[in-house]
Amino acid sequence: MASPPVAARRAPGKGPRLGPWMSSWLVMAVVLVVALALGSRTVGGGSDQDRVRAVASTIKCPQCAGQSAASSDAPTAEAIRRDIADRLAKGQSPDRIRDFYASRYGEGILLNPARSGPAGLVWVLPVVAAVLAFAGLGFAFRRWQQAAPAELSAEDRRLVAAARRARLSVGEPDGEPVDPHGEGDGR
Amino acid sequence: MRPVKGRGHLAAFVAAPVAVVLALLILVLATRSPASDRVTQSPIVGQATPAVELRTLDGKPFSLDRYEGRWVLVNFFATWCTPCRQEHPELRRFAADHERTGDAAVVSVVFEDDPATVRRFFAENGGSWPVLDDADGKAVLAFGVVKVPESYLIDPDGVVQAKITGGVTAAGVESVMAELGAGGTRRGGG
Repeated sequence: MASPPVAARRAPGKGPRLGPWMSSWLVMAVVLVVALALGSRTVGGGSDQDRVRAVASTIKCPQCAGQSAASSDAPTAEAIRRDIADRLAKGQSPDRIRDFYASRYGEGILLNPARSGPAGLVWVLPVVAAVLAFAGLGFAFRRWQQAAPAELSAEDRRLVAAARRARLSVGEPDGEPVDPHGEGDGR
Repeated sequence: MRPVKGRGHLAAFVAAPVAVVLALLILVLATRSPASDRVTQSPIVGQATPAVELRTLDGKPFSLDRYEGRWVLVNFFATWCTPCRQEHPELRRFAADHERTGDAAVVSVVFEDDPATVRRFFAENGGSWPVLDDADGKAVLAFGVVKVPESYLIDPDGVVQAKITGGVTAAGVESVMAELGAGGTRRGGG
């Protein structure tokens, strides 16, 4: 007899229940979202020095190899830090300051790619890839769960029985007892 | 002792690729464009001259607006920079040529150098154009200077038309100006 659909077996008046498997995924998703939200916070609070350092750390030192304007002692890096402090004091936003440097040195001066335009794909594509990957995994797990159990055909049963008979007639290696329960093919 | 057979062949096999690589290297170095008068790309090319407060070495305020209607070559330099010292006679030549016609001028901006040393350098090597101090680095940042020598050619309308790196020659700047005079902004080849 075919089993009733899952929805029909639920108690009436009760919503769908999340199993432990689904709950753990949900918790993980929440943790991920919170971590990303905290990690992607824009420069905000903290002392003036912290704000200058935060902006300077996203701008390359033009004279140095692979160092930010925050970590370099080069005179130009110092000038950049002073300039950032002046601009922040005038009320300019970190994005506007970064735009200024990009307008003078090119986008390559920015250590973080721009969030808009073609460079914005650097931010978007990994998220899209992750969402697609998780969706794909979920789809695959669901299909595997819903897959019907394998049914043994008469031919399969006949083959298994023949194999068991052949094994019994040869005997088990290393002196182990043959068919210790005496069930033979009847099991 | 008898020579080991095949060693000569091995040496030839090793020497041949090395010789080819060296020949290619010489070819590349011989045919590449000279280090001076390199017109390079910059986002500032095509933009208005940055509004930056400049001062002469004597501390007097100075504005590039005074060159409106004339070409001006803004040259970032330092006395500790060898290519800067090498281009100095060329800057003198260019400034002298255009002093007569009055259609172009040179302005130097000191890059990470001591004003007293710069004064001495000009006293010894000549050059009567304005030399500006940039102790706070504002001009360097406003123009997007990476390393000296760098020169920015500004047209009579106050638009930056070219960035020249690696030093300039008078003939090279004339050539760029002539090309720009034909119309259009020269954005350089990288």
